[in-house]
Amino acid sequence: MDRRELLFGLATTAAASIVTPEVARAAAQADRAAASGLDWRVAFADLDADMPRTPMRRVRGRPPAGLSGSLYRNGPGKFHRPGGSVAHWFDGDGLVRAFRIADGQATLEARFVDTPKRRADTAANAVVTSGFGTPAGPGARLRNGDDANAANISVMRVGDELWALWESGSPIALDPADLSTKGPRTLRPDLAHAPFLAHPRREPGGDIWNLGVSGARAMVWRLGADGTLKSAQMVELPMASYVHDFTATRRHLVLILQPWVQSRMAQPFADSFEWKADLGTKVLVLDKDDLSARRVYELPSAFAFHYGAAWEETDGTIRFDGCFSPDASFATENGRRLMQGTWTPEPSPDLGLVTLRPDGRARLEPTGVSAEFPRTDGRVSGGPRRWTVHATGGGRDTPLFNGVAAHDWKDGRSDVFLFGAHQLTEEAVFVARPGGTAELDGWLLMPSVNTRARATELHVFDARRIAEGPLCTWRADRVLPVSLHGGFVRG
Amino acid sequence: MILRNLLVGLAGLGLGLGLTTTAAAAAETADLTVTFRGMTAHQGAVLFVLADSEASYDDKAPPRASGMAKVSGAEASQTLTGLAPGRYAIKAFHDVDGDGKMGTNPFGMPTEPFAFSNDAPAMMGRAPWAAAAFEVKAGRNVHQITID
Repeated sequence: MDRRELLFGLATTAAASIVTPEVARAAAQADRAAASGLDWRVAFADLDADMPRTPMRRVRGRPPAGLSGSLYRNGPGKFHRPGGSVAHWFDGDGLVRAFRIADGQATLEARFVDTPKRRADTAANAVVTSGFGTPAGPGARLRNGDDANAANISVMRVGDELWALWESGSPIALDPADLSTKGPRTLRPDLAHAPFLAHPRREPGGDIWNLGVSGARAMVWRLGADGTLKSAQMVELPMASYVHDFTATRRHLVLILQPWVQSRMAQPFADSFEWKADLGTKVLVLDKDDLSARRVYELPSAFAFHYGAAWEETDGTIRFDGCFSPDASFATENGRRLMQGTWTPEPSPDLGLVTLRPDGRARLEPTGVSAEFPRTDGRVSGGPRRWTVHATGGGRDTPLFNGVAAHDWKDGRSDVFLFGAHQLTEEAVFVARPGGTAELDGWLLMPSVNTRARATELHVFDARRIAEGPLCTWRADRVLPVSLHGGFVRG
Repeated sequence: MILRNLLVGLAGLGLGLGLTTTAAAAAETADLTVTFRGMTAHQGAVLFVLADSEASYDDKAPPRASGMAKVSGAEASQTLTGLAPGRYAIKAFHDVDGDGKMGTNPFGMPTEPFAFSNDAPAMMGRAPWAAAAFEVKAGRNVHQITID
């Protein structure tokens, strides 16, 4: 080897030790983003301070008459601090937003949930609290789930309060008028700090059902519509799966136990789990009136965060849909990469229909439709229904989704609108037309991050004519980080 | 999530009450006043154990002493006498409902406040001895713990 070869060899060795695949990928993606003028990273950037109520500007169409009320949404909103940042998208501080629509005008405001985690991290000037994918830093305190409660997944109206929801700690009550934090809700003193998932199931006009899961045990919560506790009962699960959501018919609770199972005690939380495909997926069906009456079905291995409302046919067949992936890689990989400004393109979750037969047979049928954040017309929850509304257009050039759709389970058709790569679409929420009763007679309210305009937008669709595009779009004067879940309160 | 893990380790807070301090050599004894602050429920008592070694702190040996400080405001204290000078650590919980046990929810997570000497933070279980241990010298000593 001559001197020139030697130097060349050293140079490439040095470069290889510095330019990791992640760095190379981030650089390539940044180059492409710069070339296209679009940068999806704006949808995952920090909001540094609460945003006061601010008018939105109408940039398309006209709002439909009769649409009036508040769309409340939650999602992680602050990720970085000088002394250390979150390692996972799911660990940002809960940021609750209110889109308020009245008299054809819209306003937007946003306020952080005042949690012990946010206080501890603010005091440390670093993210020290452990979370889903973020390890604890120096001085962290973790006495119970509420010390780590980011209150960042969803927000729902309960009685005259909003509850900001996480999944391993208490609901945090907020004032709907100004989004200020009132404090954690302990539903009974002996149940303090118990886990409470972010996806309660509301019976039309009736009770709220929820789970809290730790290991292979779950608390089944039953609350009245006003949030008072009716019962809290422990059930044993077939395996210690990660559970983010569940579903229900009028008579049954349906718990999906996927093969991402807790195999050790670790923090961050996600490091406790292992993907064990050979275990398959188990579905536990419980009778709401007698939780000891249980039945377990077997499905092939699959991963899902979210499910649609289940329904039951006269012969006892139970059906529900979900947004299924082959494994938990978004939770373990891309959820982390997003915080490093990079991501690896991966196939979108697929809308799938699960059928549980009375004779014990179970099937999961894919549709080939890209889908996440499934929602239904809440008036038919638990009963027979025809449509599922969902974000779509995933698995393309940007993280998350670029469109919205309604899937018709009767004829298998999908009513789709794709915006293009400059819009990261969020969860669409159905709002019934006043006076209407038919399923999906109303509108969809869906925020997005417009990366070209660098602004958060709110779109209104006719829920039965999505392909025609938004009836109306309002644009804020800034970008808020992309949100996860919420609900509409008429007013 | 997380917090099944959390409280492995806190089982040790089930306190062996009834132990009392025993006299040490008169020439070298120390008194320790433990003050608890920050209680939001002004009732019940703070129950605590005093460990004089890592083994004792980790429940592998008996505690040196135990105590109960009645709570009627945001602050409560108790004095232990006749201790040998040396390193000690305290595990405490606020027995708000007065049943003598640290309350737990059905997942085994504590529902009553607990704390450690030096205000050492709990991290999925008891704070480690190294973080909670403090020096007790001959004569009078005072140690404050925040518990809320």
